[in-house]
This record gives sequence, structure tokens and C-alpha cells, in this order.
Amino acid sequence: MTEQAGPGGYSVRPPGETLLSARGVVQEFVVRERGGVKAGIVHAVSGVSFDIMAGETLGIVGETGSGKSTLARALLQAPRPKAGSVTFRGVDLTKLRGRKLLQARRHMQFVFQDPFGSLDPKWQVRSIVEEPLIAYHEGTRDARRKRVAEMLDLVGLDPARFGKRYPRELSGGQAQRVAIARAVALNPSLIICDEAVSSLDVLIQAQVLNLFEKLRGELGLSYLFIAHDLALVKQVSDRVAVMYLGKLCEVGNGEAVYRQPLHPYTRALLDSIPSTEPGAGRATATIKGEPPSPVNPPSGCRFRTRCPLAAERCATEEPLPREMAPGHLVACHFPLMPGDVASTTTPAATSGARRS
Amino acid sequence: MAAQLPSAAMIPGAPPLLPPLVSSRRLRAQSLSRTLRLWVPAGLLILLAGMCFLLPIIITIPPPTGGSILDANAPLFSPGHILGADPVGNDVFSRICYGGRIAFEVSLAVTAIGMASGCLIGITAGYFGGWVDTILSRVLDVLIAFPALVLTIAIAEGLQPSEFHTILALLVFSVPAFGRISRAATLAVRELPFILAARLSGTGGWRVMVRHVVPNIVPSIATFSLLGIGIVIIIEGALDFLGYGIQPPAPSWGNMIAQGQTVMDVQPQYVLVPSLFLLAMVVAVNALGDALRERWGVR
Amino acid sequence: MSDTLLDTGTLLKVAGLRVAFALGGRQIHAVNGVSYSVAQRQTLAIIGESGSGKTVSCRALLGLLPSTATVAGSAQFRGTELIGLSDAQLRKHRGTDIAMVFQDPARSLNPTMRVGAQITEAIRTHRQLSKAEAREQAIELLRLVRMPAAERRFHEYPHQLSGGMRQRVMIAIALACRPRLLIADEATTALDVTTQAQIMELLLDLQDQLGMSLIMISHDLGLAASYADEVIVMYGGKVVEQAPSAKLFGVGGAVRMRYTRALLDAIPHLERPAHTLLPVVGGRPPDLSALPEGCSFAPRCAHARDDCRQAEPELAEHVPGHRWACWHPCENGAAPHD
Repeated sequence: MTEQAGPGGYSVRPPGETLLSARGVVQEFVVRERGGVKAGIVHAVSGVSFDIMAGETLGIVGETGSGKSTLARALLQAPRPKAGSVTFRGVDLTKLRGRKLLQARRHMQFVFQDPFGSLDPKWQVRSIVEEPLIAYHEGTRDARRKRVAEMLDLVGLDPARFGKRYPRELSGGQAQRVAIARAVALNPSLIICDEAVSSLDVLIQAQVLNLFEKLRGELGLSYLFIAHDLALVKQVSDRVAVMYLGKLCEVGNGEAVYRQPLHPYTRALLDSIPSTEPGAGRATATIKGEPPSPVNPPSGCRFRTRCPLAAERCATEEPLPREMAPGHLVACHFPLMPGDVASTTTPAATSGARRS
Repeated sequence: MAAQLPSAAMIPGAPPLLPPLVSSRRLRAQSLSRTLRLWVPAGLLILLAGMCFLLPIIITIPPPTGGSILDANAPLFSPGHILGADPVGNDVFSRICYGGRIAFEVSLAVTAIGMASGCLIGITAGYFGGWVDTILSRVLDVLIAFPALVLTIAIAEGLQPSEFHTILALLVFSVPAFGRISRAATLAVRELPFILAARLSGTGGWRVMVRHVVPNIVPSIATFSLLGIGIVIIIEGALDFLGYGIQPPAPSWGNMIAQGQTVMDVQPQYVLVPSLFLLAMVVAVNALGDALRERWGVR
Repeated sequence: MSDTLLDTGTLLKVAGLRVAFALGGRQIHAVNGVSYSVAQRQTLAIIGESGSGKTVSCRALLGLLPSTATVAGSAQFRGTELIGLSDAQLRKHRGTDIAMVFQDPARSLNPTMRVGAQITEAIRTHRQLSKAEAREQAIELLRLVRMPAAERRFHEYPHQLSGGMRQRVMIAIALACRPRLLIADEATTALDVTTQAQIMELLLDLQDQLGMSLIMISHDLGLAASYADEVIVMYGGKVVEQAPSAKLFGVGGAVRMRYTRALLDAIPHLERPAHTLLPVVGGRPPDLSALPEGCSFAPRCAHARDDCRQAEPELAEHVPGHRWACWHPCENGAAPHD
């Protein structure tokens, strides 16, 4: 049932049909100084592989510089990754151009972080939601109008009241709902959410998250949910993947990653999260130093410069992902053993009792 | 460690339920000021336009040329010559009106044509990038590199001086200006998420350009064009002043100033009156541009 | 001023603070009667979403509001009234008594000036020191904020530093004159969570070291639970709940005001199983130019009743040390996550 795949490969296949399969995705950008002189290459994504099953939500969590947003864009071929393959519904998107790419990509939609940024301020709400239908030549004008109204209803916006509004007349939560309505208009299979709720207020965020769940149930959607907040990602996802500096550190079931983090970076992330749980210790910074630059990533394991467990081997040999428990993979030479983890509550640091 | 915190009720002097802090007079004043800043210059321009274009049709005023020598040098507020008459006997007010038509016509034509062609070049260059941008930008650069005023004079000299040729000459200056600013505005808009969102929705390149990019750069282009009108009016006046544009006896504000210059020390009104109108129009156009920019939030 | 006299006393006492803005013909009531105190060496967290008035109320203390704002009420810092002082008078307090650290270090630092120069500028504004002495102090400050390779960083520009390092520079600038009160306005919001943990640890250690008080402004209840002594929750420009952090989040603690409860329910919890539907609070934050009669949270509250809509609840100390403003609060003994 399980297989090791190539570099960075996580090809454990849980049961179900594979919707999206990314293999060895690499994305790089050239950094130019003034005058166009090439100053370096940003290794934003360096060989990432994972699968998304039909009906599941895969969460990707990573901090600044992890490459998670770049990865999302690379999956959409906007811009095309420098290497690797992205197989969506059986078709490799990296090999397609123009019209064929458009057709293949139709069932993959995107929700951006900035709810207002992703809506054209000069367009009315109903035109915004209608745009994908027009682009793909769906139905007649009336059929499209009807579908737009249905979509707006689905996301909880009354078409009569909101159809003719402009984005500046909407609140953040409403704007994001419009973006979601646009994303589901073509009845996609997969929606990629890139920090889709991060700029919303907490209470509104909860509303939008509930909307995602509702759509998941009613439309049978799969999600790739990208965020920097591990608690948020875990809450919405079936499986969670942790990214650091362009590589995947750990992938597994959400509960498993939380209760038994295998990678030191995942552990450090969990320790840093300030929690409102009664009895949780104060959040601690078990990670040292500053994040390295993606222009010059460390050799071997990229996390070694900040890892409390780093050894010589980590500098010379890049860790490949290994399956330590069913469905739970980690790329580390010295993964944390189950005994290292305080399993039932939020990992409490030994110091730092809550201040009274 | 926590000190005893007093409850709100215990703090002496805590004010009860709340009268408004900011006087409504202050609020009304702010609101009024904003409205005035838009409508005063707009109204002034409308008045000037009405005066130049409609008034001579509605009421009878003396013709701008062919005046009788008997009326020469009539002072301000003389009967039949509300702004006096020039040394040749032409009615100054009438010349102001007809000259004003030239100012409006030339500036609007130059701006309209310049905007249409310049923006077409600039938006295409900005949106598509790559070699399209390189070629079109070089074209614009060539046009910009010529010293504008010298070039317009050369063109005006090469062709017969007339209103039409004046417009052509000024386009050399206007087209690249619009080209540059529309290219810059397009580059700014192109990176915004909603452009990517439109492309991800499946909308094709040209359609994105026309339906998404153009509507979003209209405010900055429009305010730029208003400021541009002011500049064109002045340059046009300068051309006429130098003798390259509208030739006397046909009136324009520029050549009126040129003629009045010779008798400025004795009879300054022939310079002052057209100058004041020129000033009023340019200031009004600039003020209107500022007020619109404030309203539309263009930075 | 003698320190010993006030070492355990009240450093800052805010009473009935109100701020309104005139904007496009309307009045925006950003802060509507806020009262609290901060003691020496205490950490106070002011929690609220956008529009709650948390940032405006703190900026009012230092006179950092635009000219369209009008401020009323009182804010006494060690006995000196701050509200109503002129800008020149306030400048004496800014930096030396009260300092602020802002959210976005990328925009708060001058991108064209070297980092060290910005720190020495802050030092020399308030003290007569030679360039060399100021430089010494600046490097000391960089070491104090645990900047790696402090001497080298002194000469760098902000864009050469990471977000966490820039924030350390901001803190160094704020501490240049050893203020007694540091206000951190969403200081860690733009940072990664691991960097946030580092910066928060730094702030608390500095607090101990320098005997400072700290006001943390944030929308993150977790930060308050983890790092603060005392917590204030703001909504619609008013304080709606106030208690020591242990009373709210500690074992056996409880939040009482419905808004705080809604906030707590809405934030993601690691303990929660995947795909849980969250208890939803509908509606939007109140329109500050037209605040409703009665409780400002009533339009959105699932437990609102008629009296909530008619009369505004007073912020009162119903339980020693724990103050809330709610006519029908959560049940006593209900843990935060029930």
C-alpha cells in the first residue's frame, strides 16, 4: 500500500481517487539588481510532492519564506513551475498551454488572501461572479444570471441586495464570500485557498470557515488550505503538511501531527502557539535564530541552522521523507520519538508557567 | 502583582452619558469646503465656456475683427465695448470670446486625441510587456526626447500656421505624455490580485485589458488630462504669442497678449485682460483636477 | 522623581476616555468611555477586533491622533494629566515615559536611513550625548534586544533585516530612553508565530529587567492568555470585560461577557477536531457613527433580550477583580471552551 517515491515524494495513497498529484514541483525566481544584473536565485519551492484525494482537505502550513503561496501558484501554472509535474484529474497541467490549459484548469479554482484585492473595484458583484461563466461560455445570458443568483444565495448573500453592489460597498467578510461564489460558479472539484481567512476579523473568519465546511458538504469539494496558523489549518483539514523554506517537513493526519509531531520544526511551531487552553503553559520559543534566506538555503536539511537537534549528518545529507507511522511521513534524520511528546494537552514547555 | 484597580463607577469625575465631542458646525464647514472646492472651479469653467461659445450666439456683440478705426483705444466700460477696444478698433470682449474658443478647442482636441492614441500605446505596452513593451516604449522615448516646445515651433513653421496645425504640433507633446502615464498606471494595476483572478477565471488577454485594466486607470488618466489641459492652453498661448499659431487679425489670447505687449507701458489692459482670462482658465482647470483627484482617491 | 514611592503603585490611570473623529460630515465615536489602570511592572492586554477602539485609545494617550480627532476624559501618568497637553508638552513624555512599538516595522522604520542612525537619533532627541556615546548606547540597546551581530547590524538598512529583526530595532528605539511604560500596538501581528514567541519572550524579559509596564494591544486572545497579567476586552469603543488573565483563562476560570465568549469560541483551537462547525456570530461590527441604543453587541448576540437593546449595561465588578458589562452573562463555572 505504501511506496517510497522520488525526491521529496509523499506518495502514500489513502483510499479514494487521487484528484491532484504534485511531483517534484520546483519554482525559482531570479533576483535582479538595478540594471538587470542577476544577483541570485530565490529557491522558493524545491521539490515538493503530495497528493490530494477527492473529497479531502489538505492543509499546508508554513511561515514566511516557506514557499506555500508560491507552491499554490505553481499548481495553477501561474507561473509554470520550473520543474516537476502537476497531474489534475489525470492530466498533467505542466504540459499544457493556452486553451487546453484553460479547459484542464477549469475545475481548480482559487481564493486569495485579500478579499478586496481579488475583486475588480469597478465591477458589480454579479458581474464578478458571472465572469468565469462567460469565460467558459456556459449557457445563455439568462442561465448565467440564474446561476449567479444561486451562487450568491449559496454563500449567504441575498442576490437582490448584493448583486448590484460594488466591492467598496461590502465588508471584508462579504467580499470574501463574493470571491468564494465566483470560485464555485463553475462547480470545481478543487479549491485552493491561500490565506483565505487571514485578513478577516475573528468572528467573520468563523463565518467564512463555516461556509467552507458547508460547501464541502453540499458540493463535495476538495480543498487545499494554505495558512500560517497551524491551529487554523488543523481545524479545517483532514491531513496537514508542514513546509519550511521550500520543502515539506512533515505530512500526516491532523490529529497525528498535533499529538505526535515528528519533525522538530513542527514541534517548535506547536510550542510557539499561545493558547487559551486552561492549564496550558506560556508559549515558548524553542526555535533559535533567524530564518535563512531562500536565496541561499542551508545545505542538507534546510532547518538545521535553527534546529535544536542538528548534527553533522544534517549538513551533508538531505533527509528524505520516511513513513514513521501509517500515513504519517517526516523528512528528518532524527525525528522526534513518540515518547518525546506530552500527548494529551498542548505541549507545555517545562519553563514558563502561566503568569498569575 | 496586580494593584487594586478602581471600578469605573468609583472614579471621581467620570462623565455620564455622552454629548457629542465634535461640534456639528465644524463638520458642516468641512463638508461645505469639499463641495466648494469641486464646484467653484467647475462652475467657473462652465461660465467661461458658456461665455465663449454661447454668448456670441445669444446676444449680439461686435465682431472680433474688422472694427472701425473710430473706436480705437476705447477704454474699459465704454458704451458698446464693455472691455474697451484695441488700437485697431476691434472690440476686446468679442476677441476674448472668440479667442477663448480657440483655447478650449485646441486644448480639448489635443487632450482628447493625445489621450486616445497615447493611452492605446501605453496600455498595450504596459499590459503585454516583453518585446511589445520594449518597442512601444522606445517609440515613446523618441517622441519625449525632442524638446517639446522647439519641435512644436518647427512643425508650426513648416506647416501653414492654423488652428489645425497647432493641434498637430501639440500632439507631439501630448501623445508621449499620455503614453508614459498610462503605461505606468497599467504596470501598477497589472500586479493587483484581481487581474490574476480574472485570468484564472478564464478571461483572455485583450478582454482583461479592456474590461479590467482600463476602467481602473481611468481616474488617474482623467486627473492627469485635466492638468494636461492647463499646460496645453499655456503652450498654445505661447505659440500664438510667438507668432506661430493663430495669426492676427484672428483673435487668440496668446496673440492678443503679443499685440498688447507693444503698448504695455501706456495701455496695460491689452495685456492684462487676456492674461487674466488665461490665468482664470488654467487655475480653474488645475483646481478642478485637484478636487477630482481628492474625490477619486488617486495618489 | 523617586522610584521607590511608586514602585507598587499605579503608573497610568485612564478615566472616561472618549475620542471622536470628524469624517466626511459624520462623527465617528471611536472610543466611548474607557477606564482602566496599569500598575508598575504589570502587563495589560487590550484585546479587540478592528474598530473596537483599542489602538485609538492608546494613541490618544500620546497625542498621536490626526487633527480631525477630539479627545475628552482623563489619562494620568504618575499624576500628570496627559489629555489636553500640547504637542510640545507631550513630546517630553513620548519616549522617556511612554513609548510605543507599532505593527509594521517595514513602514515604521525609515528605509533610507541606517538602523543604527535611527536608534541614535531617538537617543539624542532626549539626551545630550556625543555621537560616539550615542553609538555606544545604541549598540548596547541592540544587544539588549538580542539582535544577533549587533555591531554589524548597526550599519545596515532596514530592508536588509528580517521582520523579526526589524521589530527588535523598533523595540530598541522605543527603549532608548528607558520608558516606564511600553505600548506594543499589534507588535507581533505581522510576524511569524515562531518569531512572535521570540519577541514576546524578549518583551517580557525586558520588562523584568527594566522594571517597565507593558500594554499589549492585539486581536489575539491567545496572546493575552499566554503573556498578560490583566486583560481588557474592548468592543464598540468600550471596555466590555476586564479581569486578571488567570481568572479568564486559568483552570476554573470563566469568561462572562457574551462577546468575549463569542471571540473565544471563534478562534481556532488545536484541541478541536477537524471540520467542527463553529458557533457563528452573525452581523458586522457596529457602525461607530451610529451606535445603537443599549448594548452595542446586542444586534449580534444570540442571547440578547429586550433589556439588552434598551439599556446599555454598566461595566461593573460583579466578582472581585472581574468586571464585565453584560445583562445576561455566561453562566458562572462554565469553562471557556464549553
